Amino acid sequence: MKDFSYLRAASVDAALQAAALPGAMLLAGGTTLIDLAKCGVTEPETLVDITHLKGLNSIEVGERGATIGALARMGHVADHGDIKSRFPAVSEALWQAASAQIRNMATIGGNLMQRTRCPYFRDPANFPACNKREPGSGCSAIGGVTRGHAVLGTSNACIAMYPGDLAVALVAFDAVVHLGLRQVPVDDFFLLPGTTPNREHAIEPGEMITAIEIPGSASARRSTYLKIRDRQSYEFAAASAAVGVEFEADGRTIRDLRVALGGVATKPWRARAAEDALKGKVLEPDAVRAASLLAVEGAVDHGANHYKIELAPRVVARAILKLGETA
Amino acid sequence: MTVHNIRHGDASDGALSEAVGGRLSRVDGPAKITGAAKYAVEQRLEGLAYAVLVESTIASGKVRAIDTTAAEAAPGVLQVLTPDTIISLRTASDWFGTPPPDKPYCPLARDITFSGQHVAAVVAETFEQAVAAAALVKVSYDETPSIVDLSDAKAGDGIPIDAMTKEWGDAQAAFASAPVRICAAYNTPREYQAPMEPHGLIARWEDDQLTVWEPSQWLDGMARTYAEWFGVPFENVRLVSPYIGGGFGSKALALSHGAVAACAARMLGRPVRLVMTRPQTFTGYGGRAATRQTVAIGADANGKIQSIVHRGVNETSIDGMWVEPLGSVTSIMYATPTFSSKQNVVRVNSVVPGAMRAPGENPSAFGIESAIDELAYEVGIDPLEIRLRNYAEQDPHAKKAWSTRQLREAFATGAERFGWFRRTPEPRSMRDGNQLIGWGVAAGTYPVRRAYGEAIVRILADGSVEVESSSIDMGQGTYTILAQTAAETVGVRADDVVVKLGDSRFPRAGVTGGSRLAGVMTGAVYKAATSALDQLVGLAISDPRSPFHALQANTLVVANGRIGSPRGDGPDVSIAELLKSVGRDHIEATGDTMPANSTSDDRYKNYTTIAMALPHTEGDYSRHSWCAHFIEVRVDEDFGTVRVSRVVSALDSGRLYNPKLAESQWKGGIIMGIGQALLEEGIMDRRHGRIVNNNLADYLVPTNADIPDIEVISVGIPDLHSSVLGGKGVGELAIVGVAPAIANAVFHATGKRIRDLPITLEKLI
Amino acid sequence: MTKIHVQLDINGDHHELQLEPRVTLLDALRDRLGLTGTKKGCDHGQCGACTVHVDGERVLACLTLAAQVEGRTVTTIEGLAREGEMHPVQAAFLEQDAFQCGYCTPGQIMSAVACIREGHAGSDEEIREYMAGNLCRCGAYPHIVAAVRQAALEVQS
Repeated sequence: MKDFSYLRAASVDAALQAAALPGAMLLAGGTTLIDLAKCGVTEPETLVDITHLKGLNSIEVGERGATIGALARMGHVADHGDIKSRFPAVSEALWQAASAQIRNMATIGGNLMQRTRCPYFRDPANFPACNKREPGSGCSAIGGVTRGHAVLGTSNACIAMYPGDLAVALVAFDAVVHLGLRQVPVDDFFLLPGTTPNREHAIEPGEMITAIEIPGSASARRSTYLKIRDRQSYEFAAASAAVGVEFEADGRTIRDLRVALGGVATKPWRARAAEDALKGKVLEPDAVRAASLLAVEGAVDHGANHYKIELAPRVVARAILKLGETA
Repeated sequence: MTVHNIRHGDASDGALSEAVGGRLSRVDGPAKITGAAKYAVEQRLEGLAYAVLVESTIASGKVRAIDTTAAEAAPGVLQVLTPDTIISLRTASDWFGTPPPDKPYCPLARDITFSGQHVAAVVAETFEQAVAAAALVKVSYDETPSIVDLSDAKAGDGIPIDAMTKEWGDAQAAFASAPVRICAAYNTPREYQAPMEPHGLIARWEDDQLTVWEPSQWLDGMARTYAEWFGVPFENVRLVSPYIGGGFGSKALALSHGAVAACAARMLGRPVRLVMTRPQTFTGYGGRAATRQTVAIGADANGKIQSIVHRGVNETSIDGMWVEPLGSVTSIMYATPTFSSKQNVVRVNSVVPGAMRAPGENPSAFGIESAIDELAYEVGIDPLEIRLRNYAEQDPHAKKAWSTRQLREAFATGAERFGWFRRTPEPRSMRDGNQLIGWGVAAGTYPVRRAYGEAIVRILADGSVEVESSSIDMGQGTYTILAQTAAETVGVRADDVVVKLGDSRFPRAGVTGGSRLAGVMTGAVYKAATSALDQLVGLAISDPRSPFHALQANTLVVANGRIGSPRGDGPDVSIAELLKSVGRDHIEATGDTMPANSTSDDRYKNYTTIAMALPHTEGDYSRHSWCAHFIEVRVDEDFGTVRVSRVVSALDSGRLYNPKLAESQWKGGIIMGIGQALLEEGIMDRRHGRIVNNNLADYLVPTNADIPDIEVISVGIPDLHSSVLGGKGVGELAIVGVAPAIANAVFHATGKRIRDLPITLEKLI
Repeated sequence: MTKIHVQLDINGDHHELQLEPRVTLLDALRDRLGLTGTKKGCDHGQCGACTVHVDGERVLACLTLAAQVEGRTVTTIEGLAREGEMHPVQAAFLEQDAFQCGYCTPGQIMSAVACIREGHAGSDEEIREYMAGNLCRCGAYPHIVAAVRQAALEVQS
C-alpha cells in the first residue's frame, strides 16, 4: 500500500471539501477501499474517514418506504425488523452478502460504491491492461478466464461483473440514491461500461451518498432475494434474482412484478421485459419459466460464463414461483 | 503398558481419558484458544527487518533487467535483493539425501519457468515500507512461449516413470476378451493446501549460527537444507516451530523464500521476517499436481473383475520432478487376476507440485472408485455389493497378507449406520422437491509409512514428567498423545506431563508426513518413558536411602505419581518424595526406535532424509489404513448446485491413541475431500500461464455452511505389525475416497457421470 | 509520510502509538503491540482469521485502519477471558475439540461470541451461515457448530 494521509471529517461539508482535494477519497467501512489499496488498484493520497459522522446511520421505515442513512451498516439493516417485514428482498440480499464481519463494517453508501471482483482488474502487476483501471489500456478479461464475468450490459471495453447484492434488490424496487441535494434513481446511478468502464457511478466530484430511499410497495413486501453460488456462503453470486410480486384480489393474477438480476451483468440489472410478460397473467409455472427467459434477452457470453445465461432465468423463475407458493 | 488386551476402536478404547486411547482434550488447547500460542513468525526480536518478495509476471523466459532505483530510494528500505546482489548459496541435497550437484544455488531466478517465481526481494524497517517498495521494483523480461498445462499441445506425452509400472498377468488381453468392459478418463485439477497460516519465517544469524523460526513439518530435514545452502554444520542451524497453522504437506521442506530470508538476514546482520502474501502461497510452493487417468476394467457378467488397465499422467515443473503415484490405490483395492498400471509425468511451466494430503492415493482413488461404480451400473449390481464381490483378501500386488484390513467391517458398519439398504438403485429415483438426492459409496486407503524417532523423557524433582522431541504438532494432536503415552507409561497424570516439541535442539524426528508421526513418536516416547520408569523403580529398590530398600522387592508399581508395592503393603510415596530421599533432582532417559547398532550416520540419514523409511510391504505383511465413505448429496435440478447433506464414514486406522483427536482429523480430511469434489481448482489464464484465482475469495474452500454433521466410526483393531502401540495412519486416510463417493452420489442423483473435478454447477445444468 | 499519533483502547488497556496512517489494526496489534492472538490469514477480508470486536461488534482487523478505531473499544482474543476465567465459548471450543492447528481459532472464537450476542445462534443451520465468514482448513466445522450451540445455551441461561 502506498502511504496516504488520514483525516477525520467533522461534518458532511468538511468531508466533501476534503474529498475535493486531488487524490482524496472518502473512507467508510473500508472493505472495498482498503482491499483495493492493498491490491495496488487504488492509490489514494488522502483518506477522509466519514465513519464518525453523526446522523448518517439511521434506518427509518414507514408506510411510504424506507430511508436508510449512508453510514448504516449492512448487518444492521439486514437485521432491522421493519426492513425484514416490509422489504424482505433487501434484508435477504444483505445477509447473503459477504460475511457477518464484513457486513458489520460495510456501510450502505459504501456498498453502492463496491467495485468489481474481476481478477484482471484486481491484479495490476500481472495484468496491466484494464480499461476500468486505465482507460484505453485494453481488457485482459476478454479472451481470458471469464467464468465469473458478465453476460449482460458488456461492451468491447469491459465485461466485468457487478458483484453486489443489495443494489439488485434496490433496483427492483425503484430505490433512489440521495447525493446531498440531488437524487438519482439507483438504475441510473450505476452506469454501463460502454467505452468508459472507468466511470461506474453517476456521482460527481464533490458529492457523496447521504442516504438511500426505497419506496414502499406491495411487491416489496412480498419479495425475496435468491442467490445461487458454488459455495453455500461467503461468495459472490453465480446468478441471483431480486423478485417482488403483488397479486390481484384473486391471489393468483399478477398485478405488479419486479425482477432484477445479480451476478450476470455489468450493473444491477432490472429485467422489465420479464416483468411485463407476466403482469396481468395468472401465476403458472410454464408461463413463469417462459417469461423468465426474457430476463437474459440480449445476453452475450464469453465462453466459460455461458452457464449464466442458462442459470439466471431459472433463478428468476424459482424466485417468482416461491413467492406464488406463499400467496 | 497393556497393549495386548485393548479393545478395538470404539471411542473410549476402554481407557481412562488420560491414558493412551483415552479422549483427553488437547493439552495445547488452552494456549490456542486464548491467543497465547506464538506461531513461528510471531516472535518479537530486537532489530527485526521485514522482507517482501517480488515475483515474475511471465511464465517462461529470462529476466532482462531489474530496475531497483525507485525501490532503493523508498522510505525505510534497507536492501533490495536481486539475482545479482544476493549472496551465493550451495545446492542442497534432495529429500532422499542424494548428493547435490556442485553448483551454486540462487533462490532468486534469472531464468523464469513459471509465473510467480521469486525474482527479487525488498527489505525495509517496517512491513508497510517493504510492501510499498516492492511494488516499485521494475522487472523486464524476454518472454518465451510456455507450456500451460496437460492439455497444452506442446506438452506431449511426457516422461515414462518406470518405477511406477505395476503389472501382473496379461491385462490387455484379459480386458479385450472380458464380457463386460468399461473404460473412462478421470481428471483432477491443480489443488492447493491453503493452510490458514501462510508460509513465512524469521531468520537470524549470530556469527555462523542460524536460527529459523518457521512453520515446519520437518525440523531436522529443513535444518539440513539450510545448513547445506549456507555451507555450515548441521548443528549450527536451529529450527523453531512450536505451533504450525496447518500444513497438509506443504510445510515439510525448506523452500526458496526461506533461503531469501536467511540470505537477507546474513547480508543485513539483522533478523529478517518474510511472510508470503496469500496469492504468493499459490506459486511459492506446489499444490497437488493436476492429474489424468484412464481406468479400464474388464469383468464377467457378475461384476467379478478380470482385468484392470490403468494409465496415469501428472504435471511436474520444467526443472523439478514430482510424481503423484496414481496407481497406488488402483493396484491394491480389488482382487484382479491381471493388472497393468503405467504412469508418465509431463513438464509444464508451473512451480514444482508438492505433497498435499494423501498424495497419490487421493487422485488414484478418484479413478478406481469412480470406475468400480461405473462397472456396478454396467452390470446392474449394487455399488456396495460389487466392492464386496471383488474384495482383496490379500495385497494383490505384493501378494502378501494384510497386517489388518477392517474394510469389510467398514462397509458393513457404514452401510448400516447410513441406511444404505433403503437406497433405490436407479439414478434420479430419489428426490425432495427440486432437490435430486443421491447416495454414493467409495472406499479409501493409505499405506502405513514407518520410520524411526527418538525422544527424551525426564522425571523431574517435583514428580512431573517432561518429554522432548523435535517432532511437531500442526493440529494432529502430537502434544496430547505424547503426554498420554508418557503419563500412562511412567504412571503419572497427563496434567503432570509437559511435552516440548518444535525445536531442532530436541531429540530428532523425521518428517511429519504420510501419517507416520503418531506411530513413530508414541513408540519412541514409550521406550524412553519405559526406560525412565525402570530407572526410577531401580533406584527405589536398590538405593539404600530409598524407603523401599528394606522391602527387597522385585518390582514396584507407579500410578498417579505415587510409588508403592504391587500388593499395596509397605510405603506409599510420591515420585517427588522418592527422588528427594535418594538425592536425585531428575531422571532422564532417551528412547528411540532405531535398529540396534545404528551408527550416527544412520541416525542423521533417518532424521534428515526419507531414505530410511520402511516400505509398507516390508517383511511378511502389507500395512494400510482403510475406510468406507457413505455420502448423500442434494443436487438442485435447476441450478446444478451440489450440497453434501450427510456423511457416514467407517475407518480403520488401527488403534487410536486419542479417539477425540483422531475423529477431528478424520472429519477434517472428509471436509477437505468435499472441497476437492465440489469447489477446488486452480484456474489458468492460458495466455499468461498464470493461476488467476490465487486467493481465498476465488479459490473456494468449504465454509462452515457447506458442511453437514459428519459421523465417523472407528472399526480398527490394534495392528502391532504397523507400530509399537498398534496404531496405523489417521491424517491422510479420510480424504481418500471422498471425491469419488460424492461423484458417485451425484451420478445416482442426476444420472450424469462427472469425471472432471470439481463438480461445479455448470457441469450439471 | 509523517506518522500520526493514535490512541487505542484494546482489551481495556490504553495504548499510544506513532503510526503511518496506512497501518492496519491487524498489523498494529501484531507487529507493534505484540498482540499476536489475532491472526493474518489472507490480509484481504477473505478468511476471517483477524476477527476482533470493535465496540462489541465483530469486524476484520485486516481491512480496518488502526487510526479508524481511535475512540472506539477494541477487544481481541487476549481480552476475552475475564480474570483468568475462560469465556464459555473458549471452554466449549476446548471441550468440543473445535480446532486443530489453532490458527483460525481466535477469529472463530471472536466471531462465535458475537454470533451468539447477535442472536444468530438459534439453530445449527443459522450457526453455520453466520460462522461462514471464518474459514477453517483443518475442517473443524462440525465441532465449531457444536461448540457455538453449547456456549449459546450457557450464555443464554
